[in-house]
Amino acid sequence: MFKHNIIYSFKLLIKNKVLIFWTLFFPLILATFFHLAFSNISDSEKLNIIDIAIIENELLDNNSYFKESFVYLSSSNENQLFDTIFTTEEDAKELLTNNEIVGYIVLNGDGPSLVVKNSDINTTILKYVIEEINQNSIIINNTLESSVNQNTTINDISNQIISYLSSSNISITDQSSDNVDYMMLPFYSLVAMTALYGGILGVAMINYFLANMSSVGKRVSVSPTKKSILILSGVIASYIIQLLGISLLMFYTSVILNINYGSNVFLVFLLGLVGSLAGLSFGIAVSSLFKVNEDTKTGIIISVTMLGCFLSGMMISSLKYIIDKYIPIVNLFNPASMITDGLYSLYCYDNFNKYWFDIMSLLIFSLLLILLSITSLRRQKYDSI
Amino acid sequence: MIVFKTYLKIINKRKWPIILYTVLLIVFGSITISTSDDNINFVASKPDVLIVNNDDSALTRSLVNYLEENTNIIDTVKLDNVDDALFYREVNYVIYIPSDFETAFMNDDNPSITVKGSGDYYASFGEIILNRYLTVANTYLRLGYDKEDIISNTESVLSNKVDVSLINETDTTTLAKVTYYYNFTNYSILAGLIYAISIVMFSFNKKMICYRTEISSLNKTKYNSYLLLSNGAFALLLWFFYVLLSFIMLGSVMFSISGLLYMINSFFFVFFALTLALLLGKLKLDKNAVGGIINVIALGSSFLCGAFVPAAYLPDMVLKIAHVLPSYYFINNNELIKDIVTFDFGSLLPFVINILIMIGFSVIVILLTNGIGKKNVNTNE
Repeated sequence: MFKHNIIYSFKLLIKNKVLIFWTLFFPLILATFFHLAFSNISDSEKLNIIDIAIIENELLDNNSYFKESFVYLSSSNENQLFDTIFTTEEDAKELLTNNEIVGYIVLNGDGPSLVVKNSDINTTILKYVIEEINQNSIIINNTLESSVNQNTTINDISNQIISYLSSSNISITDQSSDNVDYMMLPFYSLVAMTALYGGILGVAMINYFLANMSSVGKRVSVSPTKKSILILSGVIASYIIQLLGISLLMFYTSVILNINYGSNVFLVFLLGLVGSLAGLSFGIAVSSLFKVNEDTKTGIIISVTMLGCFLSGMMISSLKYIIDKYIPIVNLFNPASMITDGLYSLYCYDNFNKYWFDIMSLLIFSLLLILLSITSLRRQKYDSI
Repeated sequence: MIVFKTYLKIINKRKWPIILYTVLLIVFGSITISTSDDNINFVASKPDVLIVNNDDSALTRSLVNYLEENTNIIDTVKLDNVDDALFYREVNYVIYIPSDFETAFMNDDNPSITVKGSGDYYASFGEIILNRYLTVANTYLRLGYDKEDIISNTESVLSNKVDVSLINETDTTTLAKVTYYYNFTNYSILAGLIYAISIVMFSFNKKMICYRTEISSLNKTKYNSYLLLSNGAFALLLWFFYVLLSFIMLGSVMFSISGLLYMINSFFFVFFALTLALLLGKLKLDKNAVGGIINVIALGSSFLCGAFVPAAYLPDMVLKIAHVLPSYYFINNNELIKDIVTFDFGSLLPFVINILIMIGFSVIVILLTNGIGKKNVNTNE
């Protein structure tokens, strides 16, 4: 009997096309959009080769250090910083107007000057490098002046200073983490959204059993089948569909879209299981506690889920961090944040303390809502419908 | 008038999603607008740097002063949260100066500094700045100068700056904000307008309502033209409201030629959205399916064409696909306006071409709608 009920409940849910679209396919569509829009951002944020121009004039010809420095910085190797064109001022202006270069350099009597179109990181770096080369020339000239009486040639001193300036004896040890791609966060909150959207399944399922919500509910209420069996079988069927949805999303994002969930597949799956349970219990609670129509119940689920996902960084990645830092209590009660945070900790941290805290929080959240729902659903009677 | 009144009644009943899309526009617009100040002078970009200085010495104080001049020093991050701060870009670069750094530096005893970066260009720039100070100071050390001279010479040399001039006389920073705002309207217009019009058309196209209208004394041509006018008026009202919002949020820049171009561009896009909404209304879709279709159309075109993420960050392949969507030409025009230095035929030509393409899309959709309309009439008969 119990098995039959599960199958019937499963059929009821799977035939509801709108429900299946929102819980199974909408997250996949959204993940595809995220991937198309965000896949290039991390690469775009890396320092790329900057297109610039230098105006050819007599002063440039006489300043071989300046010219050669830019030729060196524009030569094709892994440290290439610029792609430099030596041209006339008119051409450079046109290139700048057409956004083909970020700026051009003019050497005049007072030293180099820079002409750019916008203030941004590329023009700032260009300005900084010009200053660096200019400052190096000053160091060389000052040292030559003070060393003029010593028994060495100007060339020797220049070459020595240039070699000092190109490699210092101070080492910079980089201990940056490899996992710093914050574009993972929208995908993590998408997993949270899918888990919590499962609540819509819970709403639909409970409504099938409530006599005041549907004709099926009226028939079920007068049937001899125990209500606990009906509800439990409905919940299991909803949970199966929800797990299907979240597994589909995780498979699609990790295998097709190459989203990094960390190396521990079991823990990722466990988080999916617990997150889905939280979503389902949320749906059951909304369905049983609020005496409103199905549209309103679904509206509550979607609104709360979207608000939770917004606060956990779906639209603005840094928002979760800001809330965690300044008003941590908000995300402490936000199931979307618990799921996002769990996935983030699997991606970023070596220890699992934060992960287990999130799992425990989700379990407590689910348990509380299920207890509330049971209290509300028990011995429900209708004088008239 | 009765058609228009009914139209307003239905819109009023379904106002919340439209309000939601507008609130989203205000929220995202406000976040962008508050990010930087208006300027027409060059302003150097600065990485956000956290310094953990374990060596209180003259040399490290000089280094910290130099970093303070060239970076934004962040001191609100707890050391336990450094990795989180780097991940969420509160900090781009963290510099750990070890104790006895100055002693090791002066003895040329392999001094080392540990760093952590966020992996973006700001982190790279942070490293360039740190390296610059250390290299110059180390050069003076190797040239045989004492500590005081190393510090004073390094500070003196590094204070030499370069003049920067901007060829743009327009305020590109503010125009970038306007562009962002109007790019985001792509989502609000598509989602809001399509939702409202298709829901209204859904109500008017219900079988029983159609029958009642058919037998009423109201002339069918008049009825259709009232309905079309009501839809047009609603679209115009929505456009006017979003333009008004841009004046309130972005201020004086909207009273320029650029501001006028943004308005013209959005007007033609609203016209396209109206034609699309009418087409969807004619399709007689299931009420529950409308939500899904709107989300796929509005979110899809917004993500693919650069309404949420600037088009410059999108992969080439995505932008190529986006060419088949009118949103691409709307957003492309917004980006074009931002970069126009002088307003002449040459600079405005791409803008006009994009407008013509949007009109072309609208005409195609109108023809499709008429085709479907005729088919429906035949079916009813």
